[in-house]
Amino acid sequence: MIRRYPAVLLLAATTLAAPGCKKSSDAGTPATSTETATAQASITEIQLGRHLSADKRVSDATTEFSPRDTIYAVALTQGSSPNATVTARWTYEEGGQVVKEDSRSIAASGTEATEFHISKPSGWPKGKYRVTLTLNGSTESKDFEVK
Amino acid sequence: MGKGDRPKADFSDVESGSSSTAPSPAGRSYTVQKGDSLSKIAKREYGDAQQWRKIYEANRDLIANPDLIYPGQVFQIPEA
Repeated sequence: MIRRYPAVLLLAATTLAAPGCKKSSDAGTPATSTETATAQASITEIQLGRHLSADKRVSDATTEFSPRDTIYAVALTQGSSPNATVTARWTYEEGGQVVKEDSRSIAASGTEATEFHISKPSGWPKGKYRVTLTLNGSTESKDFEVK
Repeated sequence: MGKGDRPKADFSDVESGSSSTAPSPAGRSYTVQKGDSLSKIAKREYGDAQQWRKIYEANRDLIANPDLIYPGQVFQIPEA
C-alpha cells in the first residue's frame, strides 16, 4: 500500500482535472452542483422497545429494559436515497463504552423503518445506555436504562 | 485507580442484527478509473452521459462535489 501511494496521488490529481460534468470540454467548470438535489433520506424518529410488529415498528415502546431483554432500536426515515447507510452505535454509561456498532445499506424511498437489535445471553449490565443512529449525516440518539 | 475508574463491562458476547422495510441498494458497483468523470461513467453504464446525476444521487455519501471524484472510489450504479 505504501509503495503505491504516490501513484494514487498522481491518479487523483489527474482525475481532479476531469470533473463530473456532462462534457469533458467543461473541465474545470462545476457541473450542476448548485442544482437542488432530491430530498435525501433522514431520520425522523427513533423507537426503542422489546418487540417489533410486522411493519418493523416497535410494538411496545419503552426506555427501560431487563438484563435478559433483546433491545430493538428502529430508525424511521423519510426521503429518498438509492444507496444510504444507516449506522447504529450502542454505548454504555457516561464513558461511552461501545457495546456494539452495526450498519445496514438501504435504498430508501419515502417512509422506511430500519431496525437494529442487540441481545446479551449472559445478561446486560445494569446502567444507562444510549443508541445513536446515523443516516446521511443526520444523527439521532435515544437513552435507555437496564434495571 | 481513581474513584471514577470502574472496570469496563464485558460486551464480547453481544449478539446483533438488523433488517429494514427498505430494500438493499440495487445495481452493481464501479471502481473509478483515471480520467473518469461522472458523465463518462454514466455514458459507459447507461449509454447517456446526461444520467450522471443518477450515479451522483446514489453515492452522495461518497461524493462531496460531483466535479471531484477519485480513482479507486467504488460507486453503486443504480439500475437504469
